[in-house]
Order: sequence, then structure tokens, then C-alpha cells
Amino acid sequence: MTILLTAAEQKKPNIWRRARHSFAVARHEPANLIGLVLAIFFAYLILAPVLSILVDSFIVQSGDEARTHQDEGSFTLYYIVRTLYSRISEILLWQPLYNTLDIAASTVVFSMSIGVALAWLVNRTNMAGRAWFATALIVPFMLPTWTFALAWTTIFKNRTVGGQPGWLESLGITTSNSVAYGYFPIVFILVLHYTPLVILIVGNALRRLDSQMEDSARVLGAPSRTIAFSIVLPLIRPALMSAALLIFADCIGEFAVPYILGLPVRYDTLATGLYRALDTRQNGVAAVIAGVIMIIGVITLLIDVRMMKEARRFVTVGGKGNMDRLRKLGRMRLPASGFAGAFVLIGVVLPLLTLFLSTIMILPGRFTLENFTFDYWIGSNLDTVALRNGILLTPEFWQAAWNTIVIVGSSSMISGVLGLLVGYAVLRCSFKGVGSFLRQITFLPYLVPGIAFAAAFLSLFAVSRGPIPALYGTPAILIIALVASKMPFASRSGIAAMTQLGKEPEEAARIAGANWFSRMTKIIIPIQAGPLATGILLPFISGIKGVSLFIILAIPSTDVLTTYSLRLLDYNYDQAANAVVLMIALIAWLGTVLIQKISGTGLAQGLEN
Amino acid sequence: MPTISLTNLTKCYDGNTEPSVDQVSLTVEDGEFMCLLGPSGCGKTTILRMIAGIEHSTSGEIAVDDLVVDSVHQSCFIPPEQRRIGFVFQNYALWPHMTVERNVDFGLRLQKVPAQERKERCLDVMSKLRILEYADRYPSQLSGGQQQRVALARMLAVNPGVLLLDEPLSNLDATLRLEMRAELRRLHQTFGTTIIFVSHDQWEAMTLANTIAVMNKGQLQQIGTPDEIYAEPINRFVAEFIGNPKINMIKLTESSSDQVDIANHILARLEESKHAEACAIRPEEIVLSDKANANTLPMTIENIMPTGGSWVIELSFGDDRLFHSTQSRPVWREGEQVNAYLPTQSLHFFDQTGHRLVLPESHIDYTNVFTNMTRSSQAPNAQPFVNQA
Repeated sequence: MTILLTAAEQKKPNIWRRARHSFAVARHEPANLIGLVLAIFFAYLILAPVLSILVDSFIVQSGDEARTHQDEGSFTLYYIVRTLYSRISEILLWQPLYNTLDIAASTVVFSMSIGVALAWLVNRTNMAGRAWFATALIVPFMLPTWTFALAWTTIFKNRTVGGQPGWLESLGITTSNSVAYGYFPIVFILVLHYTPLVILIVGNALRRLDSQMEDSARVLGAPSRTIAFSIVLPLIRPALMSAALLIFADCIGEFAVPYILGLPVRYDTLATGLYRALDTRQNGVAAVIAGVIMIIGVITLLIDVRMMKEARRFVTVGGKGNMDRLRKLGRMRLPASGFAGAFVLIGVVLPLLTLFLSTIMILPGRFTLENFTFDYWIGSNLDTVALRNGILLTPEFWQAAWNTIVIVGSSSMISGVLGLLVGYAVLRCSFKGVGSFLRQITFLPYLVPGIAFAAAFLSLFAVSRGPIPALYGTPAILIIALVASKMPFASRSGIAAMTQLGKEPEEAARIAGANWFSRMTKIIIPIQAGPLATGILLPFISGIKGVSLFIILAIPSTDVLTTYSLRLLDYNYDQAANAVVLMIALIAWLGTVLIQKISGTGLAQGLEN
Repeated sequence: MPTISLTNLTKCYDGNTEPSVDQVSLTVEDGEFMCLLGPSGCGKTTILRMIAGIEHSTSGEIAVDDLVVDSVHQSCFIPPEQRRIGFVFQNYALWPHMTVERNVDFGLRLQKVPAQERKERCLDVMSKLRILEYADRYPSQLSGGQQQRVALARMLAVNPGVLLLDEPLSNLDATLRLEMRAELRRLHQTFGTTIIFVSHDQWEAMTLANTIAVMNKGQLQQIGTPDEIYAEPINRFVAEFIGNPKINMIKLTESSSDQVDIANHILARLEESKHAEACAIRPEEIVLSDKANANTLPMTIENIMPTGGSWVIELSFGDDRLFHSTQSRPVWREGEQVNAYLPTQSLHFFDQTGHRLVLPESHIDYTNVFTNMTRSSQAPNAQPFVNQA
């Protein structure tokens, strides 16, 4: 046995040899190839549309030659000036911007206050009916936001808008515009929708909190108030911040609610302003507005990144002691349940009941027996002009439902698998740059409102470019757009799942002699079946609820449930439209229940990622 | 059975200026049971992963028998799935979605071994590792020791020529460690496999391996049998890393001649020690007695720590501290004076660079040996001292 202390100085291999060796190594690591392919794919699918929006704001659009005195396609600052500095920029940008921020900030403040209180009640007190509320309080988040908006108009609609009157109106009570439309109902509905998110995220943090930390404070003689404010609150602060930013960002891009409730009183947000600009063929202005929304998104994201960095200092290992010590509410036990019950009543029971009643009433707001009918659901040979059968007997409805399942289903499936592949490539790729590029690019759609994204897709894929044929009017464009818009969630959950899995199960399979295909099909995908199912179902639910992509990209032959219900609304078949909306809510709710069956607390965890 | 040879193997991770593995050359002979021993972060696991092919080298060469499997110079890299080397991960990396049996026969299925033979080999290895009764369980239903046996069985089923183990005993509790240690030795004998394992734990290394390769900061320090490494550490790092309690290291250069300390005592006693930077003695080599002579040091007993069957005694001489360990119950009490003798043949000397210095044979003084170390030495039959004065 020889003793080797200093090995002989060896000539460093030259770059060429090293490169060839790296290639020999990389040849057996398909993650590199997958990473590169995905990077190119997403560059085209995500980066190209986003860039095209940004570029559009500096390029003379078709039809604007006369205004700008320039040729189509040449560089111009006209749109920037028009949107930011002209006489109408107040209407185009500043007022909508103010409204958007106003709505987002108010929603964050109110939903956080109510949500934290409810999260505490559900997780840390002996409130009556705790277990039931833990599920019931989450339901508003499973329903599309515009379900509430439609329920609201059903009750509060006044004479400002034509069509069938609201219930209160028919009962002889005139509602003022400020109650029926605009800021108040929009914030009210968004608060209803996002409070469950706070309950989920903050509740999760509360449950995960190591009880020993509180016990230590208690042993040192700290009263409950001190424990709450100097131990618990600082520790759940990261969760609070992430919930707040998530809600803020979502509110900025919210389209359906302000579209339904803001338009009648010309209360514009950036998203509806963008839609209006697109609708009136002002693509350049639309591009500038989209740019502004993206900037707000980037700022929110930067704050989030900053906060997360700070939050990491708080991360503590352990936390085995589960929180079974509940605070006794005493005399407040029933009032607390009353508070939670009121939330369920306003957030779930009333809107759904209203919508359901509206579908079985011939004339709105007239509560007499002969006014009730199930014709709008199952009637046939009705004396209406177009819709001669109840929606459950209308082929168009089932066609739209089928389209929804196929289009949203396949796009969720694709994005779920792509998300897992992105996670795989990000963690395994030998080239650092590819990994971080993938990580960032798949997150980009989060910053772009669906409406803007859809517009960009329209301009990019409506005509044939290179090898890709014109896609407008085909389900393909909807599927691609949905996939791209769901990638932020899909890639994040894919990366999280692959990080949690680690490299070793796969390395062990390599050692056992498995090639890449066997490793994928026999090890990675079976182990990741749960996360993958969640990663498919969550985008499916949010896809079903989504409006903005469809409203731009769908045509009657690719009708989905959302566009079908909006079209019914346009034709004033309110009852049938609301019936379709109820069916959407039902599908979304069933899907969510399915997720929770598959993966315990999947929803809460998925949302936090 | 193959021989594995590493030649100037080097690994630099991206962004690190210091190599994680630095010019390591060693040969593992067929049938050897070798341990790569070193503190955490010394590059030993990286070497293991490079041999398996999960990691690739930055320069240098790995060959199995005469086949080069990884070499930048030859632009050659054989992926792990084609190397047929077994690797047991530190946390076992069992596939959670497969039963024990499916975990074990996974490799055989990939090799398209016929069902009948597969079943037989699978049963054979599972019964050898005593996990047959858990065949239908999932990994999460097994204890740590059982999981490890499954991980071993999974690798042994495909009968690899070389088995690599990453910290095989570190995740086990004390009883299981002993059991698994016996198991591994038995495996090595029955299967005749070449085994290389990684450890930061000297007990693990000493008790299992035939050969130990000590590593530090990516560099190989010393290769030898456990006895060689313990008795003749090649440098200060090896001397201090091996042994529990730690070897007593005495710096020789920093003391001035008028100071009363252990260094001056040694310098005065041994002329040759003037060339040395430091001197070291194993705790169990120190001899204690009540009697004094010119070669002993009067020391105070500061602390007696029983460690169950043996005792560690902390001694002080001025500001200097020495640790002594003994298998026999100490007869002194804390605070008492005792005379310590540091036998010349037990002293290790190291030069400025930390390398071992070998003193000429003539200076080894065999005369001054205590024959009895306890107070019973005062018994009439004891004649421990030869007074030099």
C-alpha cells in the first residue's frame, strides 16, 4: 500500500477536451435537452407575446396612419403620449389606474382583517361548529368571482341599464347607482372571494407554528396578548404578506367583476380599460395599458421576492407539536359562530340561492307561486325566440360543456406535465442559465393580465407565421393560451415537487441500470402522481372559471360555458345564463372537492407556492 | 471482481475556486473493504459519487479494471446505468411507491432477467438480508435498519462487482449500528464484493474497513490499515483526526526556555526534538505514577470522567492540559498530584509543514517504563523506576 501525499502536478486538460468531456456527460443527461427544448418552446409561447405587446406600444398600428402621420409599422411615441399625457389620458389611464389600485388596496385591507379573524377562530378557538366552518368558509373561493357579480345584479340592478329589472327594483325599492354598481359592490365581492384565501394561507401558517415557541413564552410568564403580538404575529408575518401580495396582484388583473359591475356607470379599471381599448381597435393604447399593468405586477413581484428573502430568516426547523390547545371563547362562543355563519350566508348561501331562484322565476323579483318554473332548466317547446328548450335540453349547452372539458382539460393536462418537466429540467440541467431562464419565463404570465395575454395571442397567432398555421377560431389557440397562462402555477408546483423529491430516487434508479425513459415512467411520474394530479386539477378549476382569455379568443364554434353564458346574457336570457353559471360553479366545486380527496390539504399548499 | 483505480482525480464544482477533490490517486484492489474517512466536506462522498458516475470529474481519470469510465483527457464518460456499480445512499433513497420486493427486483427487471430466476435471486438476497417477511411492505412502513437492509438488498440483487456505501451506519442507533456492522462484514465475506464506503466517523471506519484512506480538504492524507493509521499517523491532521479522546498535541516552538511547561520538558529530555514543530502523544500512552524521577512531570488531576469501562483523566501542568485515558479504575482523586511519564517511543514528532518526523532509533529510551500504573505499585513486588540520577 503506497502513501500518496502530493500527487504529481498534472497538466490541466485544455478547453477542447473539457468541452468534449462535458458533452460526453451531457449526452447521458436528457434534462439538458429537455431544458433547451422547453426554453425555446416557452420563449415562443410566453416571451414572444409579452414582447409583442410591449413593442406594439411603440409601433404605428394598422388604421392609425392618419392620426400619427406615419406609415404603419414605424416607430412612434404617439400611444405613450396619448395614454399618459393627452387630454383623454385621464379617462384612458389615470382614472382606471386609480380605481384599480383603490379596489386592490381596499380588498387587501378588508379581506385580510376578516380572513385573519376567521382563520384564528377556525384554527385556534373552540368556536361552535369549527370543523364545519373550516370547509364551508372556503367555498366562496371555489366559485367564479362573476357568480357573485351576477347574483348582485340580479338583486340590485336598477334602471341605469336596460333589460330585466333587479329584484329590489321590481319590489318597488330603487337602488342608488353607488350601491348597484362601481366601487362598493366590486370591493364587496372581491373581499368575499379572497377572504377564504387568507383563511387558507394564514390558517396553514398557524397550524404549522411550533407550539413550543408559544409555550416558552408562556413559561416565562407572558400573557396571551403578548404571546399573540410578539410571538405569533411576527412568525406568521411572512404568510400574511404573501397572502396580501397574492390578493393584490390578482385584483389588479381581475376582469369579470368590474366588467359586469363597473361598465354601467363607466367605472373603469385597467383590465376593463384594456378590453375597451381592444374592442375599439386602439391596439397601441391597449399595449400601453398592458405595459402599465405589467409594471405594477413586476413591482408586486419584487416586493414579494424581497419579503420572502426576509421571511427566510424566520424559517424554523421542526414544529412537531400540533396545536390542539384551543382558546376557550366562553360567552363569545356563539357570537363567534354567528360571525363565521354570517360570512357563509353572504358569501355562499345568498349568491347561490339568488342565482338559483333567478333561474326558476319568469319575472324577476315576483315571489308568487305561478311565477316559478323549471322551464329554463328542463322545459321544451318554449315560446321564446331562440332558446326553445331549457338549457339542460339544449344541445349548445352540452356542446359548450364538452368544449370546456376538452379545451380546459387538455390544456391543464399539458400544463401539469410541462410544469413537472420544467421542475425536472430546472433542477437537473447542467447549464445554470437554462434553469433560471425557465424558472423566470414560466412565471412571466403571472405579471400579464389574461386580457392582455389573450390580445397578444390574437395578434401573434391569428395569421399563419412560418410553420405555424393561422390558429384563430380553432381550439388550439385557446389551449395554447391557457397552457401559457397556467404555467406560473404549474411550473412552481413542478419545481416544488421535484425539489422535495430530491435527486436520489432517480440516481438510485440510474445505478440500478434504468435509462431515462424507465426512470421517468417507473420512478419520477409514479412518485409525483399526487402533486401531478393537483397540478392538473387546480389549473382546470381556474380555467373553467376564467373569462378573459375566452372572451377574446373563443368564437361560437369553440364556445365554452363561460362565453356561452355571457352570450345568453347579451341576448337577455338572464335565467338561462344564470343556470349555466350555476353549472360552472358546480363543476368548479366538484373539482376542488376531488383535489382535496386526492391530496389532503392540496389546495392550501398549492395556493401558497 | 474488478480493481478500481483513481488517477489524479479532481473535482471542482461550479463557482468554487477550491477543488472539492484535489488530485486524488488511489487503487482499490479486488475484494478490498476500504473506507474513505474524513471530516464532513472533505470530498469523500464526491469521490464515491464520481466512481458511481452520478457526478463527473473535472480532471483526472477513473478506471474500473482497465476500462476508463471517466476521463476528461480521453473525453470519455460512461453513465452510471452502464457501470454496474452498486451505490447505497446515506438516506437509502428507496422508491416510496414500490414495495420492498419491487424495490429489490427493479434492477433485475431492467436486465430482463426471466421471471423465475428473478424471483429466486430476489428471495435469496432478501432472505440473506433477513427482510423476506417485509417483502410486501412499503418503505415508509419499515424502520431505519430495515430500510437500510432493503437498500443493500436492492443493490446486491443485481450482483455488482463493486458496492459503494455512503455513511452506512450513521443514520442508525447504537444497537442497530453494531448489528449492521456485523451484517456488512458478513456480506463482504459471503459475497466477496469489493466495498468502498464513506464515513466521517472513525469508529465506523476502524471497525469495518481493512484499509482506510484518510482525507482532508479534498486531498488524500494517508492510506493504510486501521492499525497503521492509528500508530503511525503521517501528519498532524491524521494524528489529530484519529483517536478518541483526541491525541495530545504539544507545540514545541512557541515556548521560551525559561518557561515551565511540557514543551520545555520534552525539549530538555530529547535533543532531536529541537527539529520538530510539535509533539504528540496518545492519551492511553501516558503513564501515571505516584513516584517521581527526572523524566516525569508533576501534574495535577483536574477532572476524572468515567466513560463506562474506561476513564478519561484531565491533567494540568502550569497552563498546559493533557488528557489521559485508562482501562483501569483510577486510584487518585480530583485535585491530587500525580507524576506523568511520556514514554519516548510513544511520542510522535511533526515538522513545520505538519509531516511526521522519524527520530533515530538510538534515542528511544526503553529504560524508563512504568510497569505498574496504579497505587498498588507501592506493593513490595513493584520495581518500576530506574533512577537515572
